[in-house]
Order: sequence, then structure tokens, then C-alpha cells
Amino acid sequence: MTTLEAPTLTIVSAIDMPARRATSPAGIAMRQFLKSPSGVVGLCLLALIIVGTLVGPHLYRVDPLDLVGAPFMPPDSDAWLGTDYLGRDVLAGLIYGGRATLAVGAVAALITIAIGLLIGSLSGFFGGVVDVVLVKITEFFQILPPLLFAMVLVTLFGSKLSTITVAIGAVSWTSAARLTRAEFMRLRDLDFVKASRAAGASDRHLMLRVLLPNALPAVIVSATLAIGVAILFEGGLSFLGLGDPNVMSWGLMLGQNRNYILDAWWAVIFPGMAIFLAVLAISLVGDGLNDAINPRLRRRS
Amino acid sequence: MVALLEVDQLNVSMRSEAGRLVPVIENLSFAVAPAQTLALVGESGCGKSMTALALMGLLPEDFVITSGRILLEGRDILSLPARDMRALRGSAMSMIFQEPMTALNPLFTVGDQIGEVLRWHRGLGGAAAREQVLALLRAVQIPAPERRIDAYPHQLSGGMRQRVMIAMALAGKPKLLIADEPTTALDVTVQAQIFDLLAQLQRETGTAILLITHDLGAVGELANEILVLYAGRCIEAGASAGIVAQPRHPYTRGLLRCVAHLQLGQAPKSWTDLGEIPGMVPPLGARGAECAFLARCAKAADVCRSNPQPILEPIAAGHAVSCWCKAAVAA
Repeated sequence: MTTLEAPTLTIVSAIDMPARRATSPAGIAMRQFLKSPSGVVGLCLLALIIVGTLVGPHLYRVDPLDLVGAPFMPPDSDAWLGTDYLGRDVLAGLIYGGRATLAVGAVAALITIAIGLLIGSLSGFFGGVVDVVLVKITEFFQILPPLLFAMVLVTLFGSKLSTITVAIGAVSWTSAARLTRAEFMRLRDLDFVKASRAAGASDRHLMLRVLLPNALPAVIVSATLAIGVAILFEGGLSFLGLGDPNVMSWGLMLGQNRNYILDAWWAVIFPGMAIFLAVLAISLVGDGLNDAINPRLRRRS
Repeated sequence: MVALLEVDQLNVSMRSEAGRLVPVIENLSFAVAPAQTLALVGESGCGKSMTALALMGLLPEDFVITSGRILLEGRDILSLPARDMRALRGSAMSMIFQEPMTALNPLFTVGDQIGEVLRWHRGLGGAAAREQVLALLRAVQIPAPERRIDAYPHQLSGGMRQRVMIAMALAGKPKLLIADEPTTALDVTVQAQIFDLLAQLQRETGTAILLITHDLGAVGELANEILVLYAGRCIEAGASAGIVAQPRHPYTRGLLRCVAHLQLGQAPKSWTDLGEIPGMVPPLGARGAECAFLARCAKAADVCRSNPQPILEPIAAGHAVSCWCKAAVAA
């Protein structure tokens, strides 16, 4: 009697099949972003920095404004990264200062984009007289030297972190406005905008639901880069002595310790490196986003 | 017959950079009755699309209506405030565009885009709107509408997108549908399907259609009446059967000879039958008072050169032509 062999069954489970791919434009862009090496590296670096500033204070319980020891203590003494010219802990400064610096960067970028979107979209959508007036206003702000203008604002309204943030936003919105205006003008005459108008869309609908979403990819890239610019700006203002002395930030550390760089390099180099890495990470993310939304690059890959 | 749409002596001009007004459409008059189809025929640059945009109140900024009236159900829509005009767009009249590949917003699903029109003009939302969108997609014969409703435009073919555009245009139950070269961007078999679909939808909904095309051969079956535009002027108008059978203006004859009549299993009689019209439409600003077709016309005579373009003159019941040599052409 021959032994019956159990037939071998190949079971194709649903798990083996490729996952259903996202088809929404946002989903496609996200997939593209995750394929971009610079985007992923930047995102990881940025996540590391953000998590560090969020979790850091719970692990390293030192007040950044406390005088914990003698001034100019080198790294690897009691304070891991040394102390500054007043004897404040540099590592604590980095951890807490990162919060302020990143917050200033993010909020200033938000202000930049908000003003830029408002001015640029009205200007690009309505054209004509509205456009002429708004472009003149934009040009007026554009020819003001930004750093000087921000310094004047901060001197006038006091060097509080909030004032500094608003000042940065107020001087850097012009490029976002011009970008938005250009995008709106490009989109305004496209077929689907005409079709939407012919179907009875209101101006508000056209601006918010038709033009804005289509202009958003370019605006998001520019917003990302605006965060980096704002961080550098905050560093620049603090370096010139216009930082908020009551809130620790990377720029403030850099500005207050720059006179002692030859005696205590660590108090200047570490915050400087922190700024560098944060801006680098943000630029890389911006790069990745640009790759993800630029259809020409996408086709090439 | 009560006209749904009546265009009376419409004149549209373009403002040149020097501030001069250059005529684009001159003294155009026509009427469309409910559930009828009027075809506006002519080459590119004859003012067909500008006529459509003038009707919709969507002329580009540098184009102005200098005189004339447009009556929709007896109401002069040129005097309506912008808000009322917007309410008419999509509900009383809607428009299908030439290029289905670019006429849908790439960031929203088909269902979203049709649903919006339903919300604006019929106050529908939520499940009721979705039900209605599905019904519209079925009406334009899109297979598996339950799946297509959540598709993005880039996932659909050109013919499918044009069907979506038609569904969107019909969502507000318009009385007048303006179709601006709806099949130009599609391949031939799909063209026929879209024309069939338009004819069927017209039978079902009773909407009037203003069909804009350069393909005189294609409109014979669909259109009740044909109006031939040349350089912004109406040069021949009448019942479509009459015009296709007996075109009187040399330009109309030329347009008809541009269409290949092929029949399965039969060799074409002669390829030389397929004609072309030499030259091109005179550009804006280079149009004098004389017949605009003069320079391209094989039948041009002295009478054409020494006189302004004649007015449209009836030559038979429901057939009018603007040509000095109409007798000679007919012969």
C-alpha cells in the first residue's frame, strides 16, 4: 500500500501581498519623502534634537540659569560640558536653550508664512489694483535691511522672547509672500480653476479650497526653510546682545560667551554646534520635501 | 419656439496694450431652444470659446463686451451683479472644457468635486450628496462608480475624466450645457462615446446644449442647428441637416471637405476629396470691413473686394448665409 503524502499547500496570505499603496496626493508625497535620503536623515536628526530638548530636563535636572560652580570649568569636570563665564552649566543651557530656540524658530516661521500667505494670496488671486498695492507694500518691507529692522523693533519693544519672535516674522515674510503670489498667479489660469469657477465656486472657495491646497507644497518647503532662517536670526540677534536675558537660548549662550572664547571654547562651540545641527537638519528635511513634491525630479528617479 | 438662450447683437472686444479696442466677436446673434443643440463651428481663433466665456460671464480681464444682450430665460444676464451671476453658473448653465486631463483639481477625489457642486446648488450634503454623486456617475456611464467615487483624477483615463466633468456639469441640473470642444483631447472611439452620452443625457434631462467644435462632420448627428463662425462673425447659420447637405458659404464647404468620410469595407473614393483650407484666420486687429475670408477664398470675385462683408441673408427656410457669391457657390 502506498503511503499517501499530504499535499503541500502553498498558502498565500494577505500579509505577503504588497500593502495597499496610498493614492492620495499627500500619501504619494509622503512615500516620496521617505525615499529621499537627505529627508530621512534630516528628519531623524531633527527628531533627536526635539526629543532631547523635551526629555532632557527630566533626566538632567540642572537649572540653566543657576550658578552651579566656578566659571570656566572645562568639560568632564562636575558639569559634563563645563560651565560658562558665570559658572552656569553648559549642558543644561543646551537642553533648555533648545526649547526656546526651536520655539522661536517655529513660531517666527509660522508668522512669516501666515503674513506671506495672506498678502501673497490676495495679491495673486485678485491681481489689478489689489496686486499693485500689496506688491508695493511687500517691496517696501523687502528693501529694509532685515537685521537692522529687527534690531530696531527689539530695541523699541524690549528684548523679550515674544518680541524677538514677532520681529523675526515681521522682517522675513516678504519672500513667502512673493512665492505665494507667484504660485497663485500660475494656478489662477489653470483649467481646473476655470472649471471650478464655471461650476459656481465663490472667490473664497477658489482661494481656500482650490488654489491654496495646490500652492501648499511650495509653501511648506519654504516654511521649513523659514524655521532654519529664524533660528539663525535669533542667534544673530542674541549674538549682538539683543537676546532675552531671562530665557536661556542657544543664541544667548553664544552671544554672552563670545568674549571668552579663548578661555572657555566649550561655552561657545557647543551652542554653536547645536544651532548648526538644528539648521542642517531642517534644511535636509526641506530638501527631502522638495524632492517629494517636485514632479520633475520624481519622474527622473 | 421660446428661446432658452438668446444672444442679440453681441460684440466682444479685446483691450490692446495701447488701450485700443480690437473686435473679437462682431454682431453675433443666435438662440437656443430648450432641449435643443446648437453647434458653434469654426477654426481656432474664430471666437468660439470667447463666445462661451462671454455667456458664462468668465471672459478674461482684458476682454470686454462692448454691446449686445444675452438673455437667459428672458433675463438679461449681462446686467446681473456678480453674485447673481455666480449663482447661475453651475445651476442655470454649466460648462465642460476641452482638456479633461487638466480640468479636475488634482488634490481632491472625484466624489469631493462633484459633491461640492451639489452642496452649492442643491444644498445636498453627507450621505444624500454621496448617493447623488453615485447616481450622476452612473448616469455618465462610469463603470464601478462605488470605487471611482473615491478616486483621484490621476487614477482615471481621459475619457473617464471627461465623463466626470460632464457629471459635474450636470450636477446642478443646468438648463444650458456649454461644451467647449469636449472631445478634442480624446481619441476617436472615445469621442463617439462622449457624443452619444451627451445626446442620451440630453434626451433624459432635457438640457439644451451649446456645442463648440471645429469638427463639422462630428456635429451633424448631435446638433439641431449649426452656426459657422469665421473671424468672430457668423457667416452661415441654419438647420444642421441643411448645412451639412448644402453648405453655401465657401468656408463651410471647406470645413466639410476637411472631414474624411470613410466606410468600412470601401476604399475611399479619392484621397483628393479630402480638402484643406489654405492660409489661416486673420489675426485680431487685422480684420477689415470686407469679408474676412476673402484672402483664403477660391471663389473671391471683384464684388467681394469692393464691398463690406454682407449681412446674413436667408436663402432658404432656416438657412442664412453671409456671402456675395452665394449663388455662384450653390451652383
